Amino acid sequence: MWEKILAYIPEWKVFMQGFIVFFIPYIIFKLFNGIVSKQEMNDDDMVKMTDQTTQKNELEYQKESSSKESYDYYTGDFNLDVELVRKEIGHNWDVHFREFHIGNTDIRAAIIFLDGLSDKELIDKHILTSLMGDFSQKDEQESLYEKGDFLQKFIKNEVLSVSDLTEEYDVKQSVGKILAGSTALIIDGMPNVLMLGTVKEKSRNIEEPVSEALVRGPRLGFTETLSDNTALLRQHGENSDLSIINFQVGKRTKKELVIAYVKEIADPNLVEEVKKRIQTINIDDVAESGYVEQLIEDNYLSPFTQVQNTERPDRVFAALMEGRVAILLDGTPFALIVPVTFSMLLQSPEDYYERWLPSTLIRLLRYLAAAITLFAPSIYISFVSFHQGLIPTKLALSMMGTREGVPFPAIIEALIMEVAIEILREAGLRLPKPIGPTMGIVGGLVIGEAAVQAGIVSPIMVIVVALTAISSFAIPQYNAGISLRMLRFVAMFFAALFGLYGVILFFLLLCSHLVKLKSFGIPFVSPTVPYRASDWKDFMVRMPLMMMKRRPKMLHSKDSSRQD
Amino acid sequence: MMINSQDKITASQAVVVLVNYILATGILTLPRTSVEKVKSPDVWISVFLGGIIAIIAAVIIVKLSQKYPDKTFYQYSQDIVGKWAGWFLSLLIIVYFITISAFEVRIMAEVTSIFLLEGTPTWAIILPFLWIGLYLISSGINAIARLFEIIFPITFVLFLLVALMSMGIFEIDNLRPVLGLGVMPVLKGVKTATLAFLGPEIMLLLVALMKQSEKTKAVKVVLVGLTIPLIFYVITVVMVIGALSIDGVVTRTWPTLELMRSFEIPGLIFERFESFLLVIWIMQIFATFTITYFAAALGLAQLFKKNIQPFIFGLLPIIYIISMTPKNINDLFKFGDMIGNAALYLFGVFPVILLFISKLKGRKT
Repeated sequence: MWEKILAYIPEWKVFMQGFIVFFIPYIIFKLFNGIVSKQEMNDDDMVKMTDQTTQKNELEYQKESSSKESYDYYTGDFNLDVELVRKEIGHNWDVHFREFHIGNTDIRAAIIFLDGLSDKELIDKHILTSLMGDFSQKDEQESLYEKGDFLQKFIKNEVLSVSDLTEEYDVKQSVGKILAGSTALIIDGMPNVLMLGTVKEKSRNIEEPVSEALVRGPRLGFTETLSDNTALLRQHGENSDLSIINFQVGKRTKKELVIAYVKEIADPNLVEEVKKRIQTINIDDVAESGYVEQLIEDNYLSPFTQVQNTERPDRVFAALMEGRVAILLDGTPFALIVPVTFSMLLQSPEDYYERWLPSTLIRLLRYLAAAITLFAPSIYISFVSFHQGLIPTKLALSMMGTREGVPFPAIIEALIMEVAIEILREAGLRLPKPIGPTMGIVGGLVIGEAAVQAGIVSPIMVIVVALTAISSFAIPQYNAGISLRMLRFVAMFFAALFGLYGVILFFLLLCSHLVKLKSFGIPFVSPTVPYRASDWKDFMVRMPLMMMKRRPKMLHSKDSSRQD
Repeated sequence: MMINSQDKITASQAVVVLVNYILATGILTLPRTSVEKVKSPDVWISVFLGGIIAIIAAVIIVKLSQKYPDKTFYQYSQDIVGKWAGWFLSLLIIVYFITISAFEVRIMAEVTSIFLLEGTPTWAIILPFLWIGLYLISSGINAIARLFEIIFPITFVLFLLVALMSMGIFEIDNLRPVLGLGVMPVLKGVKTATLAFLGPEIMLLLVALMKQSEKTKAVKVVLVGLTIPLIFYVITVVMVIGALSIDGVVTRTWPTLELMRSFEIPGLIFERFESFLLVIWIMQIFATFTITYFAAALGLAQLFKKNIQPFIFGLLPIIYIISMTPKNINDLFKFGDMIGNAALYLFGVFPVILLFISKLKGRKT
C-alpha cells in the first residue's frame, strides 16, 4: 500500500519546479505592488506636503498681510503703486510702462502692458486717445475730478470704450493678468487699478488636421488656442446643454483646461470622476494634453492607450453626443476623449459619413489589419520553425526552398526585418519633407531586394513584414497602431519559444489583460463583452443610421434615445 | 473573503462560463471512451442521455443554491449540516476543484507535446499556462467571465467550421444500424457520457456571484448552458464515428484530432485543420483550468475568511505538483476516471441530500 503511494510521489525536481511556479509570479507581484504602493505613498506624501505648504503659505500670508498690508494692495498713491508693479515685473524686457496725464488735467496716470501679447492698436486708438482727450467738454465740474471715486466712475462709464474691464485691488493678481496680456491702468488717487482686456493671443489659422485626414468630412481642426477650440465646438450647432467647465492645471505654470460634456446625456458619475481625476493632477507644468492623458489614465502599465486623442472637432462632438466627456487643454490642438474602448481605436469619423455598406466593409478590413499586425509575423515564425507539417505540402516546400541559404533561425530573420522597418518608419517621420521619399526608396530597395539577394532573409519574410507594416498603418489611431506594433514583438518571442502554442498563450494573455482593463469605469473591451447586442450595431459593422436609435448602453447615458 | 458587490455577472455570462467549463477534455476523448463502453454506433444516444442526466443534476444543484441566493456553497453548507460537517464537505469540493484543474493542465500538456511541441519538456509547457491563469483570476469572476465571452464565439465558429470540413469523409453507414444491439449497450455508456458533462457543479458558487435581478434565471442558465455542450458533443461523436467507424475510434487515443488529420482540402491556405481544433481546444482547457482554479481559491478564502490573493498564489505549486504526479498517459486517464467517479458522488448524491435537509429545516422554522 505504502509503496504504491510512495511510487507516485514525484521527484524532488518537480517540487523545485513547483516552488519556481509559485516564486516567480510572487516576486513579480510583490515588485509590482511595491511600485504601486510606493507611488501611492509618494502621492499621499505630496498631498500632505502640499497641504502643509498651503497651510504654511496661508500662515505666512496672514502674517504678511497683517504686517505689511500696504504692499499687497494698491494704495491710491500713484508713485507707490507704480513702484509696486515695477518691483514685481519691472525687470522684464517685454513689460512696458507708459505714464501720461489724463483728460487735460494734471492727474497722473500710467498704463502697463506686455509687448506682443496685448493689442497695441486697441491701446493706441481707443484707450490712450480717449484718456488723453479733453474731459472738460463732457463735464464742467472739474474740481470733482480730484476725487478718485467720481473720477473712476466717470472713466469707466464715459471714457473707456473697452468691453472687458475689471477693477483690481490685489497687486499679485493684476500682475498675473498683465503677464497674460491685459493692460493695467493706474490713476493717481484711485484705490485700485483698472484692468482692460486687450489680450490678443497668438494663434494660427484653422486648418485641416494633418494626423487625421479624411476624404469626406469637415476640413476643420483644433488649434493651439483654447477659446478657438471651444468656439469650434459651440459652432457645431446650437445646443444649450453643452457644458464647458474650466479648471486650472499646473502648479507653477498655470494653464486653462476645460472639460466639455452634454449635460442631459453624460453620466453624472462619469463627469464627477473626470473632474476628480483632473483635480489630482499635481505637476508644475502641463506641457501638452499627453501629460493630462498620462496623469489621469487608469493603468499606466498597460500597453494600450486608455484615452483617445483627436484633432477633429466633429469627432469630439460625436463622442459628446454618445455621452462621453472631452478634455481640452490650452496650447495644444489635441483634445482628449474619455472613456475609450478598444473598438473606438479602430473607428474613423468617416465610417458615419459614408454609406453603411462601404463603411462596414472598411471597418471589417481594419479589424483584419489589426489581427495581421499582431499575429502575422508570429504565426509565420511558428509555422516555419515548429509546425511545417501543418501547412500544405507544396507551400511548405516552396517556403523551405526560399529559406534555403538563410543562415538565421526564423525569429532572428523576422527580428532583423521588423526592427529595420521600425527604424525606417521612425526615420521617415522626422525627416524634412523633400528627403522623406528618398528615404522610402532607399529603405524599400534595401529591405525588398538587397537583403533577399544577399541571402540574409527569405522573400516570404519580406512579404510578411511588408504586410504587417502596411496593416499597422491602416489603423486610424496612430498610438493604437504603435501599441499593436509593440505587442507584435512580444508575440514573436512567444512564437519563437512555443510555436503555435505560444501564439495561443499570447492571445490568452492579451485577452486576460484586456478584460481587466477599464477606462473610467467602462470595461475596455466593451461592447465585445459583456454581450450587449444593441451596442453591436456600431461595433464591427456599422448599421444604417436609422437603426442606431439608441446611444451606447455601456456609457450609462442619462438619455438613451438618440431621437426624440 | 467577502464577495465584492460590484463583481457580479449576468445570466448570459453565467451561461458562457458554464459552457466553457464543460467543454474541455471531452471533445477529444469522448468518442473513444464512450465507444469503448458501448461498442456499437449508438454512442450518440448515450451522449444524449448523459446530457439529460447532467441537466437533472444541475437543476438540483441550482435549486439548492437558490435557497441561499447570497451565499456560495462554502458558506451555506455550514448552515445546512452544521459547522464541521459543512467545513469538511467544502474542503472535499475544494480538493475536487484543485485536482480537476491539475488534471486539465496535464492533459493539455500531453496533447500539446504530442501534436505541437515535440521534445519540449512538460514543465516548460505548463509553467506559462499556469502563470497566465494566475494573472487572469487575480481580478475576480468578472474578468474571467469576460474572457470566456471572448473565447466562446471563437470556439463556436471554428468548431462548426472544422466539423463542416470533415463532412467530406463522413459515411452515414458507419452509424448504422441504429439500436442494432438493443438498448443495453447504450445504457452502459451513459455513465461515461455523463462524466463528459462535468461542470454544472460550478453553479454551487455561480448563483451567489450572479446579479441580484438575474438569480431567478439560474435554472434557465443551466438548461441553455448544458444544451450547447450537448450539441457540441453529439456533433463530435457523430462526426468522428461517421468518419472513422467504431473500430477506428477505439484504437486511437485522440480520435477527434485524428479525424482532423485524416482529410485534406486542397486549394485553401491550410490543407489540414487539426491546428484549428487545437487552438480552440487549448482555449477551452484554459477556461476550465481558470474557473476551477478560481473556485478552489475562492473556497479556501471563504473557509478561512481571508483575502483571496494569498490562496491564489498558494494553490499554484499544489496544482503544478498534482499535475505532474501521473507518470504516463494511462495513469493520467485513470486519474481522470477517479475524479469523474468522485464527482458523481459529490455532485450527484450530496446536493440531493442537502436539498432534502434544507427543506426539512425550512419547514421547521
